[in-house]
Amino acid sequence: MRILLALIKKEIKQILRDPSSIVIAFVLPLISILIYMYGINLDSVKITIGVKNDDPNPEVSTLVKSFGHSKYVNSIYFDNIKDIETAILRSDIKGAVIIPNDFSTKLSRGQQADLLILTDGSEVNTANYVQSYATSIANNWLATSKYSVSVKAPAIEAQIRTWYNPDLNSHYFIVPGSIAITMTLIGILLTSLVVAREWERGTMEAMLSTSVKAIHIVLGKYIPYFLLGMLSLAFNIFLCTAVFQIPFRGNYFILFALSAIFLFTSLGIGLNISTALKNQFLASMVSIGAGFLPALMLSGLMFPINSMPIFFQHLTRVLPPRYYVSFIESEFMAGGVTSIRLENAIYLSILGLLFFAAVYKNTSMRLEKVSYDYTRSYRSKNPKGVN
Amino acid sequence: MNAVEIKNLTKIFGSTVALNNLSLNIEKGKITGLIGADGAGKTTLLRTITGLLVQNKGAISTLGYNPIIQKEELTHHIGYMPQKFGLYEDLTVIENLMFYADLKNVPYDFDKKLDFTGLKPFQSRLAGALSGGMKQKLGLACTLLGNPELLLLDEPSVGVDPISRRDLMKMVREMISSNTSVLWSTAYLDEAHSFDTAVVIDKGKIIYNGAPHNLGSNAQEFEDNVIELMGGYKREESLIAKNYNYTAPKVELTVEADNLEKRYGKFYAVKNNTFKIKKGEIFGLLGPNGAGKSTSFKMMCGLARPTGGSARIMGVDITKEPEKARSNLGYMAQKFSLYGSLTVRENLEFFASAYGITARDRAARISETIEAFTLEKYVNQKSDELPLGLKQRLSMACALIHNPPVLFLDEPTSGVDVLTRRDFWNHITSLSNKGVTILVTTHFMDEAEYCDRISLFYKGETIALGTPEELKLKALKLNTKDRLRSELDKKNLPTMEETFITLIKDSEKK
Repeated sequence: MRILLALIKKEIKQILRDPSSIVIAFVLPLISILIYMYGINLDSVKITIGVKNDDPNPEVSTLVKSFGHSKYVNSIYFDNIKDIETAILRSDIKGAVIIPNDFSTKLSRGQQADLLILTDGSEVNTANYVQSYATSIANNWLATSKYSVSVKAPAIEAQIRTWYNPDLNSHYFIVPGSIAITMTLIGILLTSLVVAREWERGTMEAMLSTSVKAIHIVLGKYIPYFLLGMLSLAFNIFLCTAVFQIPFRGNYFILFALSAIFLFTSLGIGLNISTALKNQFLASMVSIGAGFLPALMLSGLMFPINSMPIFFQHLTRVLPPRYYVSFIESEFMAGGVTSIRLENAIYLSILGLLFFAAVYKNTSMRLEKVSYDYTRSYRSKNPKGVN
Repeated sequence: MNAVEIKNLTKIFGSTVALNNLSLNIEKGKITGLIGADGAGKTTLLRTITGLLVQNKGAISTLGYNPIIQKEELTHHIGYMPQKFGLYEDLTVIENLMFYADLKNVPYDFDKKLDFTGLKPFQSRLAGALSGGMKQKLGLACTLLGNPELLLLDEPSVGVDPISRRDLMKMVREMISSNTSVLWSTAYLDEAHSFDTAVVIDKGKIIYNGAPHNLGSNAQEFEDNVIELMGGYKREESLIAKNYNYTAPKVELTVEADNLEKRYGKFYAVKNNTFKIKKGEIFGLLGPNGAGKSTSFKMMCGLARPTGGSARIMGVDITKEPEKARSNLGYMAQKFSLYGSLTVRENLEFFASAYGITARDRAARISETIEAFTLEKYVNQKSDELPLGLKQRLSMACALIHNPPVLFLDEPTSGVDVLTRRDFWNHITSLSNKGVTILVTTHFMDEAEYCDRISLFYKGETIALGTPEELKLKALKLNTKDRLRSELDKKNLPTMEETFITLIKDSEKK
């Protein structure tokens, strides 16, 4: 017990004296939440489009005006199709609407009128917004214009209610999701360095010739970084709910409990990397590749898992961030859903225990790998341990 | 009684046989010195005795335990100090001691150790901020915790100045009980000469095991005989010097330092440093760890900016025209500073182009260098994988690739075995005979004898300057108050090490 306490105390002192671990635990979450809050926005913002009207009918000019009055669209008027082309090329406008010269004539005859919507396919999301905004502006105009009588109303009107996030505010799920990224960073990046550091600096060799046991070394790394991670988690949740006012509908106790399990699995990945590689530079590269990037790309946070290729869908099953992102998004937005909580908790626990067992098994008490079979066969030949 | 009994020990790494059917007994209650060239198997032997490595064949009994299966029980009884002792640089002195006391499960009993190491005033200093000598003393203090029955020390005195080296020796001798056995691996043969037993190991085999005095009544004789045992050193014409294209410099004083000063806040790392080195001179910069030698060096070659004074190389001011001054300079840094992942040839190619050798001349110059430094066998090996002695040779090759008239060597022989050191100094003196000016630092006092002049550095200041003879005479006068007697004793001049210690102690009094 004295040995374990000494190891924990030493590790905590090292954490406190090393500014980089404090930066990763407290400054990084702040920066990442700020980025997710203000930098990344999956929602529509006001889009600028070009408008060109070839129909001299004064009634149509009200359509042109309504493009200028929209909440979602800024419009710039163009006389010349060439100018529109250059403006799109320079990304001054994200698309354009061109009203043909027979537009009002066709409408007044009760015929279907054409409206040309140009979009920039190099930015697919924006192109979709341009298309749907332009269509809906044109339809609204039509409904209030004098041509409305000559056009039939559609038979069905869809009534849309968005559950859990009625404003469709992507911050509400991305910002909590960023907690998963911070927790991964603490769990994997920071810990991937710590065992490798002991090997590089030669402290491991000195330690292995004292009374230390493998379990001391393993727990001596898990416990301090677990504590650091939980502090960082509390700080993250405080930032999310109190500072940035992200609505939280779940249960704080459950949130911390599942986060603790997730942290345990992340620590396991980091320590496995570190124990296996014994080199800080390699360990940090591998932990970014195997830990951080999957947390960002394959957790379902940025890209829905259902739309991934089948191989990657299966791959996500062994990556802890997938379960944690699924849990934390539902905990924040939908509140407590027992089945989600249970399922994710079980998977995370299984992964965490597997990683822990692997770390323990790979923690060598010698400078080289000596298989268990070797010492066992040796022992059976020399039962008293004396030559 | 034997503390360690080794029978027919063989240890193989890949295709290298590190220990070859080695048998050895280490007597209880004695200090045994372990001597051998780099890669002779010293570290492997120590690690196998502790159980950190497991042998392929043979048997070891350490204090009656079998390290293969009783490593855990064994660790309670031994103190092992690895070559890079595992101090936590971000923990303080006292925290390191407490940490290792906890790991060994022994009481916090540090008073005597702190007194002995002189670390008492620095208890709350971070271990990383200690000088090299202090670090080793702290490492030894940690190893001595719990009064182990067997001490295994892997080159504790590498890179340590003569004063700290004496302290380390005194610590071990005075802090162990009469039953404690010590196995001390070292590159210093004067150290080994003072032990009870000397074991010389070469290519994984024991080539001598017995009293050091049987190999020589004094340290010098002992060294010569050990070298003889290792196959002998034949002084040959230095190919390096032969292949060096010397162009006579226009100036007579090739290196000048004028009141050089480096200040950090209120602390002077270097103060009033003035010396002038003549063409072809070997000038030694000596001093304890942390005296400011490396800082002086870095200022002289334009790697650190002096806060006062000036320095000229071949008459070119290093602060005003650093690039021009540096083109006259070959620099070999204290730590191995080549690219470990590049091969020997790639390193040479890089330094050739970095020193501005034109592409036309480069290939010819590189093959010349490879031949002169006899690196042919290793050209395609990664430099990380070379043994230490070869690494040093490659570093020197890189420093000399552009035929500089001035060569700066910062502890070029630290951690290098005695044979390689002799070879190295053969090249250095031959280069100097050709006219190359050499500025060198070292902790080996016998090497200081090769220098034409020496500047003794202490706490950032020059406390003595002159030829080795002059310094020895000065020390002799300090030791013997009677002027007449000192004249008589001229034949019995002190050794360089004694001179060093006397002059430093004297400056401390002032």
